[in-house]
Amino acid sequence: MTQSPRGEGWEGVKIGEKEMLKNPQPGDSLPAIEKDIDQERIWQWAKLSGDFNRLHVDVAYAKQTRFGGTIAHGPMSLAFLNELMMDCFGRGWVAGGKLLEVRFIAPICPGDRIRIGGTVKEVKKRERKCAVECDLVIEKQNGGKAVLGRALGFLEAEGI
Amino acid sequence: MSNLENKPELVFTDLPAGRTFRPLQYAVTKDLVQEYMETVGDRHPLYWDETLAKPGLIAPPGLAAIYARLSYLQDHSMPSGGVLAKQEFEFHNPALIGDILQVKAQVSESYLDEKGRRRVTFLIMAQNQEGQAVSTIRLYAIWPK
Repeated sequence: MTQSPRGEGWEGVKIGEKEMLKNPQPGDSLPAIEKDIDQERIWQWAKLSGDFNRLHVDVAYAKQTRFGGTIAHGPMSLAFLNELMMDCFGRGWVAGGKLLEVRFIAPICPGDRIRIGGTVKEVKKRERKCAVECDLVIEKQNGGKAVLGRALGFLEAEGI
Repeated sequence: MSNLENKPELVFTDLPAGRTFRPLQYAVTKDLVQEYMETVGDRHPLYWDETLAKPGLIAPPGLAAIYARLSYLQDHSMPSGGVLAKQEFEFHNPALIGDILQVKAQVSESYLDEKGRRRVTFLIMAQNQEGQAVSTIRLYAIWPK
């Protein structure tokens, strides 16, 4: 990440195929990600995490619960939020980033297409760092909110 | 009981404030990161492109959501019906592929709220093999039984 020669704003830098935030301003939308959720992905997360709770992996059992079917693991949503933050901040996420007040509002189920996005809330420029506070949301295809949270990430003035 | 694991359930009475759990040793292997990338669909180049990721390939920070849960469930299973009310993550330093993280969990709060719900808060801290802080996680749960 490089600061402009004039010292105005903060230029983005492309890391491979990932474009980090450029000169973020309050109200800017974050570069949203979309994911299709299916039972295979939920099963893969169960294997990755070791969480084989039947509500996630046993379709017949889950049909009899109040959810009427399997639901995705909550921590998978946290992984998606982290993906968005890595896209936005790169190293400035894993060294100083904060994911705050993440709340699960509604379950994410097989067949859902979700959109992981957010909005820049506040930007504070301090010497060689730019602190960016964001509101985060995971929405379902019907516009319903599944997860809400806040994040604080940092853009570095030099290097990534 | 809706869990396939053959471990005793971790129930509310097992979770007084101040309780600690044996540290989890969590190895961040290349295979683990590959599996994570395939499952999540997060293929950030810092996880796999050695020409960009110096001094080393970074572990996806989303792994914290996995090792946080494992840190208090090494010897128990999670009873069904709990609710994750809120979670918070702070990342201090990147975990690198090849690191072995030590993850320590502690019950920081445990009480019945005004509606009689069993509230449990975990404070979970991960550090790398050199003792450098990697993450701090706060997990606020409503425990089912």
